[in-house]
Amino acid sequence: MTILSNIDTVNNEPPPRKVTFMKAASVLRRLLAGTATRATLAVALALLVTAVLILISGKNPLLAYAALLKGAFGSIDRIAFGFNKSTPYILAGLGVALCFRANVINIGAEGQIAVGGIGATAVALSGLALPGLLLMPLALLAGVVCGAAWSGLAAFVSLKRGVHEVLCTLLLNFVGVLLVSEMLHGKLGEPGAGFPQSPLLPRAIWLPKLVAGTDLHIGIVLAVIATVACHILFWRTTFGFRLRIMGASRDAARYVGISSIRQTMRVMLTAGGLAGLAGGVEVLGVHYRLIEGFSAGFGFNAVGVALLASLNPLAVLPAGLFIGFLEAGALAMQREVGVPSSLVFVIQGLTMVFVLCALGLRGERSKV
Amino acid sequence: MLEMRGIKKAYGTVQANRGIDLDVAAGQIVGLLGENGSGKSTLMKLLFGVVSADAGTIRFKDKPLSGHGPAQAMAAGLGMIHQHFTLVEAMSVTENVMLGAPGSSPWLSPRETASRIRQESATYGLDIDPDAMIGDLPHGRRQRVEIVKAILRGADLLILDEPTSNLSPPEVEGLLGIMARLRDQGRAIVFISHKLDEVIAICSEVVVLRDGAVAGTCRVEGATRAGLARMMVGRDMPPPIAREATAAGRNVLHVGQMALTERGVERLAPISFSLRAGEILAIAGIDGNGQTELAECLAGLRLPTAGGIDLDGHDITLASVGERTELGMAYIPVDRATMSLVTGMSVSDNLALRDFDKPPLSRGGYLARSYFAERAREMSQRFAIKASGPDIAARTLSGGNQQKIVLAREIGRHPAVMIAHQPVWGLDPGATHFVIEQILALRAAGGAIIYISSSLEEVMTLGDRIAVMQGGRLSIPIDRDTVDLTQIGLMMAGDDSLIHGAAA
Amino acid sequence: MDLMMIADLAAATVRISTPLLFAALGGLLSEKAGTFAVGIEGMMLAGAFTGAISAFVFGNVALGFALAALGGAATGSLLAFATARCRADQMVTGLAVNVLVLGLSSFLLRGLFGGRAPVIRLTPPGTWPLPWLSEIPVMGPVLFRQSAIVYLAFLLVVPLTLFLTKTRAGLTLRAVGENPEAAFAAGYDPIRIRMIAIVAGGALAGLGGAVLALQEVGSFTDGMTNGRGFIALAAIMVGRWTPVGAIAGCLIFGFVSALELRAQSWGLPVSSYVMQMMPYCLALALLAGVSRSARLPAAIGVPFIRH
Repeated sequence: MTILSNIDTVNNEPPPRKVTFMKAASVLRRLLAGTATRATLAVALALLVTAVLILISGKNPLLAYAALLKGAFGSIDRIAFGFNKSTPYILAGLGVALCFRANVINIGAEGQIAVGGIGATAVALSGLALPGLLLMPLALLAGVVCGAAWSGLAAFVSLKRGVHEVLCTLLLNFVGVLLVSEMLHGKLGEPGAGFPQSPLLPRAIWLPKLVAGTDLHIGIVLAVIATVACHILFWRTTFGFRLRIMGASRDAARYVGISSIRQTMRVMLTAGGLAGLAGGVEVLGVHYRLIEGFSAGFGFNAVGVALLASLNPLAVLPAGLFIGFLEAGALAMQREVGVPSSLVFVIQGLTMVFVLCALGLRGERSKV
Repeated sequence: MLEMRGIKKAYGTVQANRGIDLDVAAGQIVGLLGENGSGKSTLMKLLFGVVSADAGTIRFKDKPLSGHGPAQAMAAGLGMIHQHFTLVEAMSVTENVMLGAPGSSPWLSPRETASRIRQESATYGLDIDPDAMIGDLPHGRRQRVEIVKAILRGADLLILDEPTSNLSPPEVEGLLGIMARLRDQGRAIVFISHKLDEVIAICSEVVVLRDGAVAGTCRVEGATRAGLARMMVGRDMPPPIAREATAAGRNVLHVGQMALTERGVERLAPISFSLRAGEILAIAGIDGNGQTELAECLAGLRLPTAGGIDLDGHDITLASVGERTELGMAYIPVDRATMSLVTGMSVSDNLALRDFDKPPLSRGGYLARSYFAERAREMSQRFAIKASGPDIAARTLSGGNQQKIVLAREIGRHPAVMIAHQPVWGLDPGATHFVIEQILALRAAGGAIIYISSSLEEVMTLGDRIAVMQGGRLSIPIDRDTVDLTQIGLMMAGDDSLIHGAAA
Repeated sequence: MDLMMIADLAAATVRISTPLLFAALGGLLSEKAGTFAVGIEGMMLAGAFTGAISAFVFGNVALGFALAALGGAATGSLLAFATARCRADQMVTGLAVNVLVLGLSSFLLRGLFGGRAPVIRLTPPGTWPLPWLSEIPVMGPVLFRQSAIVYLAFLLVVPLTLFLTKTRAGLTLRAVGENPEAAFAAGYDPIRIRMIAIVAGGALAGLGGAVLALQEVGSFTDGMTNGRGFIALAAIMVGRWTPVGAIAGCLIFGFVSALELRAQSWGLPVSSYVMQMMPYCLALALLAGVSRSARLPAAIGVPFIRH
């Protein structure tokens, strides 16, 4: 049974001729209708459960959630922080959503982000005599390529040797993260830093700021572009059409003459590329260097975002923003009212379980 | 032994059973006749506790039976042999018999169970090896495992749900013999079937269901085929579908010594035949004798390991599915739900499965959705697909309308050769008629058709030439005018001497 | 390499394999009944948490193990409800539960102790030297001077094998994993049986977590299982879904991890990070070797729907 088997892949979007704002809005509404209800319910339930946990720990959940909200949106800086946090989740979440749609359970975003970060750093520190404006995209591209290589490796082992892709991607996550440590203690490490980190990258290749005076970098713009691109890719191209067929039924794909192997490889490379881009963005936009464990938890968040979006590429954007701001707010909540920020994992884990249950139960209803 | 009174059951707005009475005495075989959807299966599921009744009472061995599940039904002495067996393939016969067997010990007793299986096997002539793995047994043998399971569980009344539908004629003979022996030992049997001859051969009494109600009950002595058939359908049988004789066209498909071996197992022995334009080659045979492999080798889903296929002068032995489609090959596989349709996708998407990657449906990898909708409108009209719009999911349509989508896609582009594998399986009479009409229309228009079915009736009415598939081999096709039913039956049962000529 | 080094390596292998073995046996139950055991990582962590906290608070190791089993079972019941009852995707739900436990244990570690994680130091359970066997020179003391829980892990294989092959309940459990419709037709409730199998597996995985926290590490830290559940998962596959095979699988991975720990002190010219990658790479390599010929329970991953 596949995750997708319970999601109809009917595109409710009418062929756009004259796109008015009203029409666009109604299209969006229809596209997201089921997704939004499901996601809202799941999140509400999760928040309710975690409120009980906060109570148990002797704190007032209302105060905690107020602090969380304030922490997420309280100031321009906080909002900038939230956007920056969301960016890698959206990028990697898009790839995961596409993979899941094709019934390829890729949970290797973490490793792909890590290796993507290595690639971007390596190019950034290569000392190539190029202007920053050229080197920066080159570094991001290196992130894409390295991320894709890592997911390609998982796909290769899975397709060639019949190892379930969940195990391939999971195991390679650990290897990818350790690879970052290995690089930082070797070629990419900053001599004498005392911390496992690379030297600071040249300022010229830092991602430009979107709003001057804040930390908000242009990564979020890349995320928006990627979202739209993935939406088009999935619903409007033959590649997406093949993915939809393959995700629904491998037999149908065989019947139509679609090579599952080729499609799996392609969608894994796409997802790995997006995750690798996320890694590059983290390095060039947030840390300005490669640091140990910078990808911790990202891979899981990507899966959470994809599920919260019901694997709908367009819905990955709001879902990613939600998770990003939730995390940003939670850090503030921990500072303000002393409620540990690890609560976010609880909220995310519960939300995912609820969404998965809702999808599972939906399958029954549609079969009657 | 069994008394069912006033049984009612509705699924949503559909009244599956509307007040049915049924009596079965010990040592009696009662035939339960009726078309698909007449309420036979629902009635038996109610009896066995798989679903619960809305109204009515059941008394079994003078005790009331209500609110029961399968476990209680079995404990009370009921046994059911489903059409789809409930056996674990990766386990032995003994293990399958031990699964759910009554008893209070937490430990299994494989030796004792095996000896009891041998004993019952001898009593009823079942010929079962307790140590055989289910996965290695043919269909008919598995059915006997189900029977021995029910007997060892102490079933006094056995329900056999269309037990002969996938058996070869000799296997049917064997089963009827086993049923007679069970009856002589004092057990009662409810025999669900729509095959009149079998019912007349073995039953003492027949209950005919129609539209969820009892249409008639009669003793078998004195009943006639025609009388029962009239009771079943509520009218006389429709005459066979008329069709024009067409002049034999030129050869469009030639298959030469095509064979398939997978993982060291020979799936298809070398097969050779030719197909002319405007001709239907009907292939009979019990499911699982290589029909799917043959169809998939021709359609390009599997590649034969030897021999060749020639379509209209093109060697397509190793051609891709897409290339074959271009050359005019169409394929209706048996499995609608997961193969020929993507039920989660829309009607218009499903109609585009074959050519979504070619203009005008897409250009440069970009889909032109307005053409999708246009195609859907046109095809819905031409093939009378009842769907509320081109964008609704195919899964919301009835089986008949789903098959019409497949037909529209496959026949709509006037293929030179079409392979249809059980295309009317599970369809209601109206849809069945429509599908057959369309296939005959394609034939009249000069299309060559390979029609594969396990129903001898379909094969005999449709085929211009008829061949039989057995054990991965195909017999020499015989002209419909010179065909001998007994011969076909023997070939289906695996009579080597008759099928051997295939290789020639 | 001298005899002492080999003995030392053998001892470390057994020690590291023990938690893996508990988890693998737990996962085996779950998978035999038709549910992918991706959640054993979380069940292990839950057991490590409840085990360590209760041993820390009540100062009783036995109670720690008992509550660890309970913690693992509780996690298992959430997973069981979601996958068996609600038919949620087994792989991804397992992953979600892993993170849920990661967050919950980290949260409670602070939340229950007034906002700051306490420093947990646990004394490992006492050893029970086996008479005669522990007297064997060199190997005796290292292999047969273990705590009761280590013997339990390896001995557990015997009743578990008997359960799966010789009992009515074991047969039913396997049938549910192979063909739930057949089990249903035989009068059983496949959903309930799957749930029981997951919960029981959770209890075992929880024990594994407790062994890790109480014996191997002697403390609890956030996310301390660190992928051991996934390694156990690989061990199940390498062992071809039999309890005895699981021992072999776990010993292989235990040995590699033991090697990793010792490599530094032997001064091998390999970076510690590369050594840390070894278990994961080995798991991948072994899976690549066995997966093609592996025969999974036929209905694994497929939810049972009563028609």
